[in-house]
Order: sequence, then structure tokens, then C-alpha cells
Amino acid sequence: MNRQVRLAYILLACAAAALGQVDPEALANSQQDDESWLMYGRNYSAWRYSPLDEIDTENVGRIAPAWIFQTGESGKFQTTPLVRDGVMYVTGPSNHAWALDLKTGRELWHYSEPVPDDLALCCGKPNRGFAILGNRLFKVNMQATLVALDATTGDVVWEVESADYRKGYSNTVAPLVVNGLVVVGIAGAEFGTRDFIDAYDAETGERRWRFWTVPGPGEPGNETWGGDSWKRGGASTWITGSYDPELNLIYWGTGNPGPDLDGAPRPGDNLYSDSMLALDADTGELRWHFQFTPHDVHDWDSVADPVLIDVEIDGQPRKALVHANRNGHFYALDRTSGEFLFARAYTEVNWADGMTSAGRPILIPGHEPTDEGTLTCPGMGGGHNWHATSYSPQTGLYYFNSGDGCQIYHGATQDFVEGEFYLGSAMENVTGEPREGSILAVDPGTGDRRWRFALVSPPTSGMLSTGGGLLFAGTAEGYFVALDAAEGKPLWRLQTGGPVRAPAITYRFEGRQYVATAAGSAIIAFALPR
Amino acid sequence: MRWRVLTLFLSLAVAAAGQELERSPFHGDETSIGVGKASFRLRCSACHGIHAEGGKGPPLNRGEFAAGNRDVDIYRVIARGVPGTEMPAYGTRNTEENIWRIVAFLRTFEAVADEPVDGDAERGEAVFWGGGGCGGCHKVGRRGGSYGPDLTRIGRSRSVQHLREALLDPGKDLPAGYFVVKVVTRDGRTISGIGSGIDDFSAQLRDASGKLHSFLREEVESIEREFTSVMPSGYGESLSDQQQRDLLAYMQALRGEESR
Repeated sequence: MNRQVRLAYILLACAAAALGQVDPEALANSQQDDESWLMYGRNYSAWRYSPLDEIDTENVGRIAPAWIFQTGESGKFQTTPLVRDGVMYVTGPSNHAWALDLKTGRELWHYSEPVPDDLALCCGKPNRGFAILGNRLFKVNMQATLVALDATTGDVVWEVESADYRKGYSNTVAPLVVNGLVVVGIAGAEFGTRDFIDAYDAETGERRWRFWTVPGPGEPGNETWGGDSWKRGGASTWITGSYDPELNLIYWGTGNPGPDLDGAPRPGDNLYSDSMLALDADTGELRWHFQFTPHDVHDWDSVADPVLIDVEIDGQPRKALVHANRNGHFYALDRTSGEFLFARAYTEVNWADGMTSAGRPILIPGHEPTDEGTLTCPGMGGGHNWHATSYSPQTGLYYFNSGDGCQIYHGATQDFVEGEFYLGSAMENVTGEPREGSILAVDPGTGDRRWRFALVSPPTSGMLSTGGGLLFAGTAEGYFVALDAAEGKPLWRLQTGGPVRAPAITYRFEGRQYVATAAGSAIIAFALPR
Repeated sequence: MRWRVLTLFLSLAVAAAGQELERSPFHGDETSIGVGKASFRLRCSACHGIHAEGGKGPPLNRGEFAAGNRDVDIYRVIARGVPGTEMPAYGTRNTEENIWRIVAFLRTFEAVADEPVDGDAERGEAVFWGGGGCGGCHKVGRRGGSYGPDLTRIGRSRSVQHLREALLDPGKDLPAGYFVVKVVTRDGRTISGIGSGIDDFSAQLRDASGKLHSFLREEVESIEREFTSVMPSGYGESLSDQQQRDLLAYMQALRGEESR
């Protein structure tokens, strides 16, 4: 951290503390703050675990809605709400956001910004949440902008453009605040964009650094792209990373190379697509990288949560980063160096026969997409896609979901047209073999599966684990469910009436534990009856 | 390439001024056709086939389109959908340019006449409501049963080839949302029927008599979902070749009118 940054950081901390606002120390200690939910993954390690235990395996059957907020907006609600000082901050699809009174669920303010009609999108208009620092909230808008809002009023403080949406860029990611910087990713790989991770000054909105996830000429890794294919290389960064304050490293996953299913125009490994990146938090300089799927032709983004756990692996204590990849494997890396520790398949995999000692997949021939199609498992969405995961230090287990089944991958060549789909074809389902899903609990030190809860549909929601021995998750058919975190047995459920596409959060308010989630177009807060 | 961009700009400007385009501004442009093909495969192929050969949706590789053969007709169908069929409106999910590129891709197919049906629709109608027994499960207009899919507009959304497959091998390509739920109760009874819904905790079904059932998984021995058809599979034998052709001719003529 240079002196100027450090000074600004200290001044911000002092000012925030004086005003009772969210200061950097509060973010660093978020795991101990039972009354707040201050960032996407709850703590910088992205555990999504709360020690709260008022609601537990014995009494969870009695929880009921304390309030329901109907947003009135349609679309995919994938948000992780933030909570602090009696207020819940929620983002919605299509550039909407709300502040809600924790006591009643009533709206305090509503922010909205139109989505341009000519915005090209692959996958709807979701948003995954706010970040907070001081009295400011930070969110991205679909048209690839980052906006800072006054948390009291919802008024816009500043808004900056990360990229030109007319070129195919868009944004859905929840920002991550680190050292006074607002770190965000970007989406657009399905449109042949060249993607990046940005850090903006929380005070001014000025961009402080950018890391291009596809290296330009003269930069290491550019040689892994044939010709000028790097210009359309993709490697989007649409899910929030994690942060290790001790190492001052930000960890962030990247998505598929472009075009998605046609590898011919981009010979080589295509760094840093489908990779985990470790970046210096102050400068954005790359410290290490690990590529999960070199030269991917199956659209296996590697954006899922990088979860930081200190765990024993092969008898050695390790500062690990664990990650459930869309390619069907669960990985453990050394987060200080990027060293590959192990990988284990957690769903049906027919394209790789294990890994080399360096973690490179040993390919099984015959899985390149063709015009007639090739059957490959897992399907395009994974495996584990992007949905938020959870690590419970209480059970020592790591929880994530999985889409299970295969798909037929069709490839085709196409020329690049700016702002248009650049996919190299698509996939189709296997007739009579519907894709299903799982909620999985694995030992993060070995990858061994402890239990599986079967889902009739590919999963849609994220995970929350609690000190009450519970794991909360939702389903595509609208159930919000509490499972025994140790055994995977369902203990409670409610049919919410709409798909649960978001991860739940929990917090204590006025001495009472609440669990809240988005379901359908509503936000529901549950608690034990008084 | 520059003239094409100019053409597009002028064309879209005209469209914005209220005069609809007759022809895709990307007609014949190889690059745009490639993009249109990619978009087609992403958005359309699940129903119309990866090569536009048809499936649940009609074939689009024959140079003939049910809603009209002008580019603007195809554009309208993609943008607005077809009410009363499974074809949704894509106008809110795709940009205008993207839809025009899909149109340009679809116009690359040579005109091929639809498979002729050497059958008599009136005789087919008699088979449908008579010896074939189709009307016991399928509705046409307000007449018929509701255990199987409504066939009132089936001639608009299925090719003859697909209809023949559905008649002779009904389990090969089930209509969207159709599956069978089989429940075994704790006292050993098996109840099965068309699934209305199934999730991780319950299932709802309609048996052959039309009775609705709802089960919680925790209250029964097992609940299974099967992607098979409850339609009898012996029509290849029970109906003569001529009766099959007549039946196909009748179904091909079902385009949304009231029951004949």
C-alpha cells in the first residue's frame, strides 16, 4: 500500500468511525458482526457463514415470515442484501434497488435507472448486490456503469462508465470494497469483448487500476492467443471475488474465452480465461494465476466463489483457496502461491481423466464441439455455476450446488461483429434426459463428499450456513429450505411462490435472529415467533 | 462493408420513421448470416432443431414460413411470437439488428416443398373422433379430452414429419412440460398420470380419469418422474397406412379454427 493510499485509507476510517458508518475495520471484522451483513460473501474469505444460533436444528421448524416486501419488478432476483443499522439494502433486476426498514420491511427509498433498449444481453438483467463503505453504497448497472449512492437517501453521488455497452459489455456483479477501493468485474464474453477487473476510488469514482483478463501484446500470456484473437478473448469477471488482508491479495475468477464453443480462431491456452487470479489489492498487479480449463470450448466459466480456508491437506496446514468449478471438479489451491493442491470430480465428468500434478486436465479425446454435436458432461452451465457457496467452520464442510447431466455441444465458425453474439454455436439438451441438480457438502481438505441433497431441477440459489447447524438454500420450484448442515436432512421448508435465485443472509435485529432471501420478486425475512 | 453499415443505418432510420423494413438489411451478408446462425442456435434451436430441421417447432429450413415468406413476416414472428402456440416473443430479449440477422440466416435455405400428405382430411377427422380414439384424450377447439396436448392449432406448429413421429412413436419427443409421475403409496398402491408439477418435496398429477392427486414425498413410498408418453404406441398397427395418412392430413389442417 503506498503512502497516499494508506493516508486516505486512515482518514476514511477515522471519518467513518466518527459518523458511525461502515469503516474499513468493520469490513475486516464483518465475520464477528452479528447485526450486519456488510459484503457479498459476508466476510472477505467469502464464507457466507454466520455464528448466529438462535434459530437451530431443533426450532427451525417454527420459523415464519416476519415480513415480505413485494418489489413489483419482474426478472431474476439474484441479490445478496446488505444489512446495517436497522436497514436492508437490496438490488433488483433491471437497475432497481431499495432500502428497507428492518423492523417492518417497509420501503425507505427506491433507486432505478433505465436499461438501454439496445443493450445486448446473454442472460437476463439480474444484479447480485451492493457493496458499502462509509455511508455509501456501490452497485453496477446493466449498461456497464458503477454508481455510488447515498445510503440514507438513495441519491446518486457519482456514476462512472466501466466500458461501452454498445460493444457488448454489461454488468451484474456485486462490488467488493478493499482498502478504500471499489473492485468490480465485467460481463460480455458472449459478445467478443475483452474483459477486465477494475478498482475505483470509493470517494471520487476515479479508476485507480485495471487488470485486463486477456493480456495485450507484449504482456505475459498474450502468446497464448493465436493472431489477434486476444482482442475478442472474453474472460469476463461477473462474480465477486474474495480478499486476504494478510497477503493483501484479491482473488477473482474469470469466465470463458470467446468465441465460447469454437476454439479454432483462438489457438493456445487462452490466458487468463477460466482462471483464478490473485491480484495485489492496491495496484491490480498479477501475483499468480491458475487456469482450470485451458483452451475451453464448453463455456465453463470459472467465476464461482474463491473461498479462503485454512485447512489441513495431506497432513500439512494450508492457506487454501477452494473453488467448485463449472467443469465438474472441486479444486484446492495454495492461496499464497497458486500451487495446485488437488482436484476432485463432484458430478459426472466425461471429458477429462483426472489432472496432471500441476492441475492441468488430462483430456479424453472426442469432446470438441462439432456441427453434428458431441455429448459432454457436465453441460454448459456446469457443474457448479456461479451460485454463492458457503463454508461452515462449525461443521468443517463446504457447501455448493451442482447442475447434473450432460449436453450436446455444437460448434460452428462465425465472424466477429461488434456488439453481437460471438458464441461459435450452442448446446442442446439430450432428449429424454433432463438435467437435474444437487446440493453438496464436501470436506474441503480432501474433496470427499459428505452428503448430497438431490434436486429435480438444476439449482438456482446460493447457500448460507449458520451456527445453529443449518444450511439454507432455495430451489427453482420456489421452496426455501433449511437443511441439517451436518447430515443434509431437510428440517423446514416454505413454498414461496417464486423461484429462489438468490443466496440467503442472516442477521440479528433488536435481539432476534432473522434469515432473509429473495424469492420470486419478493424479499422475505423469517424469524422465530415472538 | 462500409456500404452495408450505411444501408443498415438508412434502413433502420426508415423503420424508425414508421415504415417497416420489407427485407433484412443483412440479407446475403455472410458475416451477419454467421451471427444469425449463432443466435438461432442459442435462442431457437431447442424447438426448431440445431439445423433448423424442426422439432417441437416447425422446420425453418425449407424456405417456406407459415406466417408469410417476406423477411418482415419472419421478423414479426420472432419479435412478437405467435399467440396460442409455444412460440414466445423475442423482441424484448434480442435487439432489432440481431433479429434481422436471424432472418438473414433463415433466408439462406433453399425452398423445399413440405412433405406432401396423400390423405383426406375429412376421413382423417372421422378416424380422429371415431376408431382412432384420439378425441378421448386430445382437444380440438372445445371438443375432446384434456389428458393429452390440445391439438387445436397443431398444424401450425408441427411438421408432417413430426406429427407422423408423434403418432407412431409418441415417446420420442415429448411436448414441453409433459412427463409422467408414478407414485407408490405406503400401502403399496401405484398411482400414475400426467404430471402437473414435481419438485423436491411434492408432486401433483392427473390420472387417466381426469382426477387430480397431490402427494408429499414424506407421505409416500416413492415418487418418480418418467419422460415417457402415456399415449398408446400401437397406432402403426391398429391404423392402416391410409388411415394414418388421413389422420395426418386432418392434423395438418388444424390451424386454430373451431372444431370441424
